[in-house]
Amino acid sequence: MTEDRLNELLDDARRTWPMPPEPDYQAMWGRIEQEAFSGVRKHETRTPSWLVYSIGLAATLVIGIGVGRLSMNNEAAVPTLAAVSTDTMTTTVGAYDRVASELLGRTVVLLTSLPAEGNVGSGERFSNQAIDLLTSTRLLLDSPAASDVRFKSLLEDLELVLAQIAMLQSGRTRQEIDLITDALEERDVVPRIRSAVARFSKGD
Amino acid sequence: MTHAALAAEASTVPDERFLIARAQQGDRDAARSLYDAHARRVHRVVFRLCGGDEEMARDFTQDTFIRVFDKLSSFRGESAFATWVHRIAVTVTLNGLRKEKRLKRGADDLDVANDLPAPTNNSDPDLRARLRAAIEALPPGSRASVILHDIEGYTHAEIGEMLGIAEGTSKARLFDARNRLKKALSAYAKDRD
Repeated sequence: MTEDRLNELLDDARRTWPMPPEPDYQAMWGRIEQEAFSGVRKHETRTPSWLVYSIGLAATLVIGIGVGRLSMNNEAAVPTLAAVSTDTMTTTVGAYDRVASELLGRTVVLLTSLPAEGNVGSGERFSNQAIDLLTSTRLLLDSPAASDVRFKSLLEDLELVLAQIAMLQSGRTRQEIDLITDALEERDVVPRIRSAVARFSKGD
Repeated sequence: MTHAALAAEASTVPDERFLIARAQQGDRDAARSLYDAHARRVHRVVFRLCGGDEEMARDFTQDTFIRVFDKLSSFRGESAFATWVHRIAVTVTLNGLRKEKRLKRGADDLDVANDLPAPTNNSDPDLRARLRAAIEALPPGSRASVILHDIEGYTHAEIGEMLGIAEGTSKARLFDARNRLKKALSAYAKDRD
């Protein structure tokens, strides 16, 4: 199928895509008003228990894998993407794994400290770390490491969360961190990091 | 000030800052005016992201506005209010779909488009249906890119802001999604041509 043909089809879809039936906006507002303004839901700043335990476990796994791989290969401690690109194919795949492991480990460390902090002025520090990690995440998204659908999905979610953290600014840290913590929880980011780390440890 | 009066005043003032400021102070009539101004477009986008599931679309639209008013105090006007609301809507919807496990994942799901009934002489509606099925079978991020850009007409800058990604990433995702669509439809289109 040509690009022009697809454009024709999408133009047609734009005109003919079914419009949703009109919902009862008044009734919808009733629930919104009740939950948003009547204090029916409790909004608390908290660190989810799964986050505490999962991050600890994930950090332990990441450190263990990193030490194990480094001691086996006797190579440079922190491989860079530039170095990776010059290696052989076999070494490249392993190197991407190490870069990915390193990224996950550093991200876990950042996420571990995030909910516990929230002090005025800490946003800038988080922001700088997140920008650095965001660059690595985007490089990995464009690398063969992202050929794994599950890992790519995790990287895309990390990209979203890190982008939010990267935008943190001093003086508005608490609210922003609450939003980010919500996103972490809703997207099951940390359990998925744990799962990815486990896959790396098996050499998948 | 009543909801109707606020709505009338909002229609005469080019921006919504005064409504937002009032809503941030807990004014429910102001909040209702903001809801009235944005609910239809939000619901339409959510409905399309949900693949036309009315119940989910209604729930996610409600969840969106609950979150909007819950987080309104953090809105600083750094982006347009509509963009901020839509960003929350897209996030709520994609997260909700993932939670419900109703969203098909991965490129293999594009095969769904090939499982549709064989084409009839009335070919254009068939192709439309296949395109919609192929779009609905895309992974969440790709599907959002196609619907927001190609169907809803948002720019890559707006989509980037909604999804929390770079403009270039939005373009790359759309490029990837369109390639998937071409692949999904190519066999069928070949039969027709």
